[in-house]
Amino acid sequence: MIRAVDNGELVAGQQAAASQPREIRVRVLRQDAPGEESYWERFTLPYEPNMNVISVLQRIAALSKSHDGRHVAPVAWDCSCLEEVCGSCTMLINGRVRMACSSLVDNLFEESPGEIELRPMTKFPVVRDLCVDRSRLFRSLERVKAWVSVDDSYDHGPGPRISPEEQEDAYPLATCISCGCCMEACPQFNKIELGRREGETEEAFETRKQEAYDKQFLGPHAISQAMLFNGHPTGKMNADERMEALTGQGGIQMCGNAQNCVAVCPKRIPLTRSIARAGRAATVWAIKKFFDR
Amino acid sequence: MAASTPSDDSFLSRNQFLLYRLFSLAGLVPVGAFLVVHLLTNASVLGGAASFQSRVNLIHSLGPLLPVVEWAFIFLPMIFHAVMGFVIIANGMPNVGSYAYMGNIRYTLQRATGMIAFAFILWHITQLHWLGAPLGGGQFDPHHASSSAAVALKPMLVALLYAIGILSTVFHFANGLWSLGVTWGLWTSPAAMQRANWLSVVVGVGLAAAGLGALGGMRAIDVEEAREIETRMDRARQLLEGETADSHAAGAVQPVSLPALD
Repeated sequence: MIRAVDNGELVAGQQAAASQPREIRVRVLRQDAPGEESYWERFTLPYEPNMNVISVLQRIAALSKSHDGRHVAPVAWDCSCLEEVCGSCTMLINGRVRMACSSLVDNLFEESPGEIELRPMTKFPVVRDLCVDRSRLFRSLERVKAWVSVDDSYDHGPGPRISPEEQEDAYPLATCISCGCCMEACPQFNKIELGRREGETEEAFETRKQEAYDKQFLGPHAISQAMLFNGHPTGKMNADERMEALTGQGGIQMCGNAQNCVAVCPKRIPLTRSIARAGRAATVWAIKKFFDR
Repeated sequence: MAASTPSDDSFLSRNQFLLYRLFSLAGLVPVGAFLVVHLLTNASVLGGAASFQSRVNLIHSLGPLLPVVEWAFIFLPMIFHAVMGFVIIANGMPNVGSYAYMGNIRYTLQRATGMIAFAFILWHITQLHWLGAPLGGGQFDPHHASSSAAVALKPMLVALLYAIGILSTVFHFANGLWSLGVTWGLWTSPAAMQRANWLSVVVGVGLAAAGLGALGGMRAIDVEEAREIETRMDRARQLLEGETADSHAAGAVQPVSLPALD
């Protein structure tokens, strides 16, 4: 699904452009490598209408010069689709987590005219500059088995029908782009950053990281995906395994109902509805498990 | 394979879901339920010293069972809720500075009021409950309920700290009620959560009124007059129970003979 920037935002951006500053001052919190000290670097570039944060970063890369004229390495960042679908360009823009692609400079100037502050997400280990390691996000999806497992070479015939009502209910959950905004804004989701030990193989390090991730909070996105696939007629077949993960260590109980996740979600996914539904399902499941054992 | 850390199979980790749910439940029953009963009982002081005394007498009619009930249904669940609460607070990282949404503000307030309530309740028990007597507290005399409470709450600073403590505790309970509903899956849609929010507001405002009313009511008590009423009620109670004044030396301040009061 291609989703362009809302028309309203575009118009607002153009109107605002009339009174725009001539230059953009950008502050970037940089870090050269994992585990190293971070530092601020300033860049100044000429203002152009209709820019987004990605195009600002592209200009900075082309410039490769800090505001005081020093030659510096271009700022590293992740992006791919440029239309709020791939979920890779998440960063803290003016202190708030959001997608760089859909953050228009003209709109950002309403928050702070002429200035933009860029920081990497704080809940994930920094790889370099604005690039972070979001592997924990995907590990959470693995923990709750956020998929329908029917892949084999046999023809099972048509799958069960899904009513339009069920589709409408499930579709918003399926629009998750794994951007990590919900995890970043969640006060219950804490950063886990492990350093690679001397002589440790890549594999051993990965295993150690996953073990650490598996003890901590899943995050809102994974809870929502668990509810999406537990509501799916075929996905239901693994419902018990997902409930086991949701009620295991770092599961649904870690939610503190701050509801930041739903407030920052760029796809406006009803995450708190999923969390409350997961809470209800966990209540029923735990009681059943207790009495059926 | 990396050696597993002790926390891997610690009791807390293995039963994390159960413990968090018991924590949530304990906040409603028995701790929250006790809070409601406690504040409403205390608010009966607004009906006069006799009205409050008769309710206190009802509670104390449990006699030797009272400490058992207190520990089983109030103190132990409250200690459990508090200990778990501190674990939860320690594991969270409030960020209202960056995300000043109403839900997030309430999340932070829930933790702040929880800690205030903890400190307040600790002081409150020491000050008034007989458990606090060895520490110079235990000022509440169940046979002279209103008058002893009135004396204890008379200083302006005490009253102010009580008002803060009561309001924090009530907010913690009312907001916790809403949060509990989400946790257990009672209200799941945003619209239902909004309606539940109103329930919390009503409960919160009602209990705050009861709590502050009780505080104001206690302080408005005429100590001398109340003491007289309470002494008469205590004497009557003793007569009804067939006790002698001597057998109740701990309770009655002075053995009183009826004619002296006429």
